[in-house]
Amino acid sequence: MKLNRIFIKGLLFDNPVFIQLLGMCPVLAVTNTAENSLFMGMATTAVLLGSNIVISLLKKFIPTKIRIPIFIVVIATFVTIVGMVLNAYFPAIHANLGIFIPLIVVNCLILARAESFASKSSTVGSVVDGLGMGIGFTIALFVLGSVREVLGYGTFYNIALFGDGFQPATIMAMPPGAFLALGLLMGLFNKIISKNVNEL
Amino acid sequence: MKDMLKMGLILLAFTAVSGMILGLTNDVTQGIIQERLEEENIQAIAGLLPEAEDFNNLEDEAILQRDLIVEVYEGQKEDETVGYTVRANPIGYGGRVVVITGISVDGEILGVEIAAQSETPGLGDKITDNEYLDQYVGKSTEEELVTTKGGETGEKYINAITGATVSSEAVTDGVNAARALYEEVLKSR
Repeated sequence: MKLNRIFIKGLLFDNPVFIQLLGMCPVLAVTNTAENSLFMGMATTAVLLGSNIVISLLKKFIPTKIRIPIFIVVIATFVTIVGMVLNAYFPAIHANLGIFIPLIVVNCLILARAESFASKSSTVGSVVDGLGMGIGFTIALFVLGSVREVLGYGTFYNIALFGDGFQPATIMAMPPGAFLALGLLMGLFNKIISKNVNEL
Repeated sequence: MKDMLKMGLILLAFTAVSGMILGLTNDVTQGIIQERLEEENIQAIAGLLPEAEDFNNLEDEAILQRDLIVEVYEGQKEDETVGYTVRANPIGYGGRVVVITGISVDGEILGVEIAAQSETPGLGDKITDNEYLDQYVGKSTEEELVTTKGGETGEKYINAITGATVSSEAVTDGVNAARALYEEVLKSR
């Protein structure tokens, strides 16, 4: 498979959020503002990229029988590093994302890519796959977070959009709002994609 | 059997390398994190006791064994105590709420700050707004504060945030714990 195809697949046609519905826990839980979503997406991308590289490099040394525990060890290592780095250099983001940083370990997107792609492909391909899937995940989270922040708080990236008279729809900032926004965005995304899928 | 041993050793190799990498990362980041936490703590309590220049952590057993009390600092200016900051952790709607209360030596609440909370966004998290917290400023430590849903006015009443009574009560609990500590222990020091 050509590299640009791998990238576009992760970004659009196999988008982890809108098409594959992977990693729903952070998608629903931390997308209440655009900023949180962006950093969650970037943290996940960093972990995905790291685990894809390591697993594709070491695939010859990983016995099939114990591949899952090894994948988890590799993923958990990267997640812990990301957590420590965020805590040291981006404390505000670390405080906002809280428990959802360690929970990246169980984000099934990362394990799915390790199992179905990195353990069978070249390192270059795995890097491209990690970037495509990671950026696809980040964009999906950012769009979802933006919609929820605008409706739920009346702000975008902490900048007030409307006057004082605006009454924010608090439900959009709470868990039910995540389901509502995700469902509607998913419908929209699939409508657009299904029109263009034949052109590729 | 041989296979099992081999698998175990491979897994051991992976976890050992992982442990080493994490140890190194921790060495780099731990100092920065510790420093920042201490700095943040001093900054938060300095905002509540603007007069004080030095802060001493009081590690008295009689203080730390009390309910909800986590940490108490004594603020001093030219070796004289000007007030205390009390960190308490009452239970709110979504877990513990960390409330820091600044109390002057004459028993006046100088300020209240929320150091950490996980209350409902848009409702309970309004306890961090100054609009709400300013209600505590200037209250006396002599009387127990009471959260009200509206109506009652008076020195001891704090108006709860609409739709977030539990969160409001948590803050009041924290302030009350600090207030009682001042009245019963700190005042007679």
